[in-house]
Amino acid sequence: MHKLQIDDLLYNVEKPARYLGNELNSVHKIVDENMIRFAFCFPDVYEVGMSHLGMQILYNLLNRQESIFCERVFTPAIDMEEEMNKNNIPLFALESRQPIRNFDFVGFTLQYELSYTNILNMLKLAGIPIYSGDRKDEDPIIIVGGPCVYNCEPIADFIDIAVLGEAEEVILEITDLYNKLKKGNYNRLEFLKQAALIEGVYIPSLYDVNYNEDGTINGVIPKFEGIPKIIRKRIIENLDDVFYPEEIIVPYLNIVHDRIMMEVFRGCIRGCRFCQAGIIYRPVREKSFDRLQEITKNLVSSTGYDEISLASLSTSDYSQLEDLVRHLIDEYGSKKIGISLPSLRLDNFSLQLIEEIQKVRKTGLTFAPEAGSQRLRDVINKGITEEDLINATENAFNSGWSSVKLYFMIGLPTETDTDIIGIKDLAFKVVDAYYKTPKEQRGKGLNVTVSASTFVPKPFTPFQWEPQSTLDEIYAKQKLLVSELKHKNITFNYHDSKTSLLEAVFAKGDRRLSKVLEIALEEGCKFDGWIEHFNFDKWMAIFDKANIDPAFYANRRREYDEILPWDHIDVGVSKQFLIRESENAKNEKVTANCRTSCAGCGVNQIFTGGIC
Amino acid sequence: MITIRSRFYKKGDMVFISHLDLVRVFERAVRRANIPVAYTQGFNPRPIMAFATALGVGVVSEGEYIDIQLSEKLDSNSFTEKLNNVLPEGLKIIKSLAISNKEQSLMSIISSSTYLVKLQTKDILFKENIEGYIKEFLHYESIIELKEKKKKPHHKNRKPEFREVNIRPLIKEVELFCIDNHEVILKMHLAAGSEANLKPDIVISKLKEITNLEIVEDKTRVQRLDLFKEENGEYITPLDKVDIME
Repeated sequence: MHKLQIDDLLYNVEKPARYLGNELNSVHKIVDENMIRFAFCFPDVYEVGMSHLGMQILYNLLNRQESIFCERVFTPAIDMEEEMNKNNIPLFALESRQPIRNFDFVGFTLQYELSYTNILNMLKLAGIPIYSGDRKDEDPIIIVGGPCVYNCEPIADFIDIAVLGEAEEVILEITDLYNKLKKGNYNRLEFLKQAALIEGVYIPSLYDVNYNEDGTINGVIPKFEGIPKIIRKRIIENLDDVFYPEEIIVPYLNIVHDRIMMEVFRGCIRGCRFCQAGIIYRPVREKSFDRLQEITKNLVSSTGYDEISLASLSTSDYSQLEDLVRHLIDEYGSKKIGISLPSLRLDNFSLQLIEEIQKVRKTGLTFAPEAGSQRLRDVINKGITEEDLINATENAFNSGWSSVKLYFMIGLPTETDTDIIGIKDLAFKVVDAYYKTPKEQRGKGLNVTVSASTFVPKPFTPFQWEPQSTLDEIYAKQKLLVSELKHKNITFNYHDSKTSLLEAVFAKGDRRLSKVLEIALEEGCKFDGWIEHFNFDKWMAIFDKANIDPAFYANRRREYDEILPWDHIDVGVSKQFLIRESENAKNEKVTANCRTSCAGCGVNQIFTGGIC
Repeated sequence: MITIRSRFYKKGDMVFISHLDLVRVFERAVRRANIPVAYTQGFNPRPIMAFATALGVGVVSEGEYIDIQLSEKLDSNSFTEKLNNVLPEGLKIIKSLAISNKEQSLMSIISSSTYLVKLQTKDILFKENIEGYIKEFLHYESIIELKEKKKKPHHKNRKPEFREVNIRPLIKEVELFCIDNHEVILKMHLAAGSEANLKPDIVISKLKEITNLEIVEDKTRVQRLDLFKEENGEYITPLDKVDIME
């Protein structure tokens, strides 16, 4: 394969640095014919994709194998796509600038439902048949992973392999198998059938889906004997032993999260009922303090970054957080390397710690009460009180902060206008807390930013049976908040809930949506998560053309006994637990976090043999 | 405080990174190289460094300059070596000098720059043709460029407003460097820096407009040769005649 000549294109596009592929710590290999070529694709622009920790992990893990060359691919921006089309340049991998059409594996990470059209568009730009059934032995294997794989039914017809759960081990088992079969008489179906036996591997094409007359699912049945009926996710048992990159790619461009990402633990002890990540990443597993020290040291010297972010679903729940933060300040403070704790909870918010962090580098303060009233926070099991929030903000104002962000969701189950007014009340109490703070202590120019996103019920959560509020209901709530939240110190942001409707459809969708996606590709839909590219009317016309009612997926309440499109996938948490939690939500009953007492979700039975 | 002034080049793939990207590359490089760099005060401390001018995306340069402030003494040779060990391919420190505190900032002293500009012409032209065009072009006493006025974001009046700028005084020299069938290379000496700055592409578009020289759009490539300050009517580089502090 020769290297594509793209220099002339680079002079004509905005941000050509997106396509260079030669960043610090990027891997370049001399290609030989026995090498497995792996294209790791992120279905969004460079700045979003490069902020993704999973890509950095798997890229480096795969490239540690002598027999594998893994390269990166991002969605070309609209201007680059035009240039590529004009010059007949197929989608290429950044490092080698070779077309990915000839690669062995083309992998996509499924982070967000609205990136599905980008996936299809990338396959099209690559010249790879979009339907798995149309692909031949010599075509790449399309492999996917990430949070949306747990219900990847809407794109099931376009993919060959879905990896459920943490991929560090299973990905190598798949490439090993491929290597073994490639040496003999390789046959695509035979490879897929054998891959299906690897734990954590789901091959959608090996299953038939039957439907009832009312449109619900009757069953998902393996087409061949020996293919598992239920597919269970994979986890890594020991996070200290598993590979973690100690040299990560440092981009030239300013990307969304431009810093060292230190993963401190996986899973979450909190059981917020809207949160899919809190369920699918169970059980909680921590990295040891020693291991974290070692990794940080190497990452700091290999990257030159000026910030370390401690990543997890709820960093303040890390059992040795205080020691870790003090160590990082002692070690790197003099070098002006800052620390960020992006997912702090209000209840155990240690302001003293944060204040010390701020001495090196100042960051903003963000809190996520999610709901305005205590009643609704109990429904969603957020587990924090108004007092927590007011205390935390009071302390913050006392220490000189004057800018606070508050995140909420609207359209949560059982929500009424009283709960919506609660958002206003909470925001106004935060404003009061500021004005109560002595003038000489507080910072100048208070700004409380209130953001309200639209709730999307997600598979594998206690709210998976819930309908999403209709657009009209959401609009009414947004309108109410706009009129209520008029205050000179408050900025109110809310997203257009039309994208959230589409998100709900694809989150809870089934295989019949592949037709919708196919038409969407023909109609040129892409970057649907970007408001400037999203065209709602076009989407509604597409649903119409495919003869599919989006409300059937987004706005319909499901019964507990309905077979859900993702019921053949096992994330380790039992359905009984989800039902129990769903009932607790209706009864406004709070469930304690996993460290306080075990709620019996079932994940410990399967993965950790007893105790989380 | 010690300031080290360096000359570096920017070529290869590195021409596609913007000035802001370049600033980040240097900030990270000094940290990776363990150079004892001085930091700014405040909420968001940054290494104290200053570039001479911003180079446009896509422009190769043999002569860029940067001043970096150190918090401890480090001789300029080890500084160069340490930094070159960690800079990406396409960026390289060519020469460094520890300069005296009395030296003025890079940005304030730069007044001009030399470039090589490669053009592709639609027809095959000869030396005489090109020289004729240049002569015709330089003959004008005023060459007017319309510059869009900068506006505050969210300005009510969205229509762009323009002002006329005579760029002729900013052109010190344009000459034919070499010619080969469809390819013509011009050498230019133009005003550069914070006082007055003229980009070679503007000169090319004006040259095209005034003289009917047919060039292929999108095929123009620019290379900066060096940056200059003016001292007693003489053009010298920012590393010439400086007070050294070793």
